[in-house]
Amino acid sequence: MTNWPLTSHPTAHLRRVLTSCLIGGVGLSALALLASIGGCGDTAPGAAMGSNAVSPVTAADGKKVVRLEFRAAESGFDPATAHDLYSSIVVDGIFDTILTYDYLAQPAKLVPKLASEMPLVEDGGKRWTIKLVKGAYFSPHEAFGGKKREVTASDVAYSFKRHFDDSIKPVWRFLIDGKIVGLNAWFDKGKKADGLAWDEPVAGLEVLDSHTLRITLTKPDFNFSYVLAHVAMGIVAREVVEKYPNDVQSHPIGSSAYYLKEWSRGQKIVLEKNPYWRGGTWDFKASGKDPYDEVIVKAMQGKPLAPIDRVEIYPIEEAQTRWLAFKNKQIDVIHIPEPFIKQAIVSGKVAPELAAEGARVQRLLDPEYTYNYFQWNDAVWGGSELHKIALRRAAAMAINREDEIEIIRKGNAVRAEFLVPPGVAGHKADFVSNITYNPVLANALLDKFGYKKGADGLRMTPDGKTLTFKYTSTPTAAEREFDELYSKNMAAIGIRYEAEKEKFADSIKREKRCQITIRGASWIADYLDGDNFMQLLYSKNIGESNNGCYKSAVYDKLYEQSAVLPDGPERDKLYIEMQKQFEADTPWVLGVTRYRNQMIYPWVVGYKKHPVLLADYLYFDVNMANSGKGK
Amino acid sequence: MMAYIVRRLWQILPTMAGVILLIFFLFNVVGGDPAYLLAGKISNPEQIANIRKQLGIDEPYWVQLWIFVKQVVTFDFGSSWSTNEVVSRIFATRLPASLMIGIPLLVLETIIAVCVALAVAYVRGSFTDRAAMVTCTVAQSISILVYIIVFQYVLAYKFGWFPVQGWGNGFFENLFKFAALPVLIALVVSLAPNIRLYRTFLLDEVNQDYVRTARAKGLSENRVMFVHVLRNASIPIITNLMIQLPGLLVGLFLIERFFSVPGIGREVILAVERSDFPVIKAVTVYVALATMLANLAADLMYKAVDPRVELK
Repeated sequence: MTNWPLTSHPTAHLRRVLTSCLIGGVGLSALALLASIGGCGDTAPGAAMGSNAVSPVTAADGKKVVRLEFRAAESGFDPATAHDLYSSIVVDGIFDTILTYDYLAQPAKLVPKLASEMPLVEDGGKRWTIKLVKGAYFSPHEAFGGKKREVTASDVAYSFKRHFDDSIKPVWRFLIDGKIVGLNAWFDKGKKADGLAWDEPVAGLEVLDSHTLRITLTKPDFNFSYVLAHVAMGIVAREVVEKYPNDVQSHPIGSSAYYLKEWSRGQKIVLEKNPYWRGGTWDFKASGKDPYDEVIVKAMQGKPLAPIDRVEIYPIEEAQTRWLAFKNKQIDVIHIPEPFIKQAIVSGKVAPELAAEGARVQRLLDPEYTYNYFQWNDAVWGGSELHKIALRRAAAMAINREDEIEIIRKGNAVRAEFLVPPGVAGHKADFVSNITYNPVLANALLDKFGYKKGADGLRMTPDGKTLTFKYTSTPTAAEREFDELYSKNMAAIGIRYEAEKEKFADSIKREKRCQITIRGASWIADYLDGDNFMQLLYSKNIGESNNGCYKSAVYDKLYEQSAVLPDGPERDKLYIEMQKQFEADTPWVLGVTRYRNQMIYPWVVGYKKHPVLLADYLYFDVNMANSGKGK
Repeated sequence: MMAYIVRRLWQILPTMAGVILLIFFLFNVVGGDPAYLLAGKISNPEQIANIRKQLGIDEPYWVQLWIFVKQVVTFDFGSSWSTNEVVSRIFATRLPASLMIGIPLLVLETIIAVCVALAVAYVRGSFTDRAAMVTCTVAQSISILVYIIVFQYVLAYKFGWFPVQGWGNGFFENLFKFAALPVLIALVVSLAPNIRLYRTFLLDEVNQDYVRTARAKGLSENRVMFVHVLRNASIPIITNLMIQLPGLLVGLFLIERFFSVPGIGREVILAVERSDFPVIKAVTVYVALATMLANLAADLMYKAVDPRVELK
């Protein structure tokens, strides 16, 4: 029985009921919807393609604007504490470092930034004399009485010392830890005295005059020039630090080309050209290795550096959102999100709809690799006994990196062969690893060393215990793909697979205590020298960066010899020896080096992603329709 | 009435004590050690120990717990361990964006869901009713992620009716331009379950004798439905509404993330990823408190809409 009302037919009342109440509710939403349709038109499409293409942005003040994206939220802009890549990109545009990288040179080449010339290196790489450029000023700030203030050698010394100030939780101390004469002693004395004596001089940081600093190292280190170019070594002003003792990251006052104009955390960062910046001229040579360099040189040579007035950066975490924002021309340059690579690049070319807009792609290998380490202290997997080496070698030969590249990484990586990745000084491009994918040989190796199969078809250790490839990772979808791959690979050689899931922080904690059996990790260059990678296996770095806790007297000796040599044939020979020792022991399985695919709209001129130079926005330009008007 | 309110407020104290203990236990058991995340790429045990000392997580548990209690009492949760931003500032700057989506959503969702539920309850058993229920069931079965991805692609990117993402500086710009699509998606997602729920509440009333009596007295259908039926069905509707209120404080994480809305939901997820305990503590305590206050408000509203309800 239906519940019709007694007085009339239901449909008439239904209309009235709906009409009378939906007018209120739906009407409100329709109003909002209509208003929104009328309100979003600031990214008009249709900019002409080709070299005459202009940005769709119409800046009322005629300023040149570029819009960039971040894949994750930034944390803050203090050079000593910025621990994520994205914060460092901003830091690099605000703060000066002593040196920086040549925009185009391949292999990477250092050039002066705050220094007036390259440092004078004496005493076999122990004494570094740095002359600072004159006329470099910190942006005006109330800490300087509202005026600009010149950068001096004392600021450099102070900025270096600051990495030892525990109260700010510095994350880059390792770059200079134990390297500068007297610096660690000054720190230890400060700890005992319950406070660092900032005015107390440090023997290894000698201020010769207002614009000259002499740094004395504890031992020869030809890589120290890379430290001088590292973004963490950005020069800060003591007055500003003391004004904001715990919050320099929100008040970045530097002397480089840009200053922080606006910051809505995790949502928008706006950098504007520092009017007090000393300036510079774009003067780089084509590398000869990339034909596009010529195009860049032709477009940019002789222009002022940092030609863009306003850099807008939008942290956008979701891949689809980033990609649609780029296609919608809300972003000018994008690191193509992995799920969209096949939409962006079809048969090695830019997808037709994007090519029609004049978009181009730059593909480069990042200076990094992934690897899986075995715990050197593990009773089953670790150690230098022959049967344990055989076990690790067999597992290494069973992992199918080609599947990883094709299936998981969608062709967006290459197999890592050498301990120093491509693009980093010390890399051997022609080196072919002895450890290749070969499950047949892996099975034979395990048979030979007594890893017999049980009734269940799975192998046991030579002393009859259960043998498990226990792989630790985070509970994410990406890691589940690796679980599937490794599980299949281990099954092919009769090894039981176990996925151990835990939070990233817990993994790091256990890793530092040598408690993880097998885990995947990656390392991206802090600086473009092989030493940054070779140190990962040095036994004195256990608990710090040697996360598999590998110990080899032979490797250590070779590393110590290599660490005091500059890049060159002598060091290359040592690197080959270290690689051989590494392959003989197989403490890791090298993984892959990933490609970075940048897509750029045609109104961005002279853009080229550098492997480690973070503030690349100092070196390219943007074509604007009304550029220069209203300035 | 006042005695009842005072008594209920007193009851917040033991509940809050339980919440504090639970959060503290969970953070220390499964929360992960933030010092290892904050120490950077290469760190040594001494640096880790120093960070632990600065964060106060090297103190005995009872000391840490006491600090937590003091923070709850003073509403001063200190600064984020990860970004150093003062927690109260995080709320002050992120909450408006979440509310900009949450409040219009709650208002529209309630009005539309109640109206549609009234309509379909009124024609119970008809084709319209059945079609509406089938539509609701199907709509409810689809993940919010699908709605977000499809709506963002079609309505924002393909049709260009809305911005793909972003947030501005002006109130009206945000409300009518940037919040419109997020609100629309959240509305589509939340309407289906709410219509079904409210329809059930209303159907319980439509068949009551007093409705038949009202109609027999010659009252208009609008008066019967909107005044008599709706008023009597309003207690469970208020309950449902009040349950949703504290959710405004944590925002709509997925929507905020996809549309780059600088809301509190994104911040909470970041805090969890970074083991940023001060932010997690503050959010949990605020939500717990808001839930208890919303429950109290619901009880008081019961009395307002139905004088027969006694507050004991």
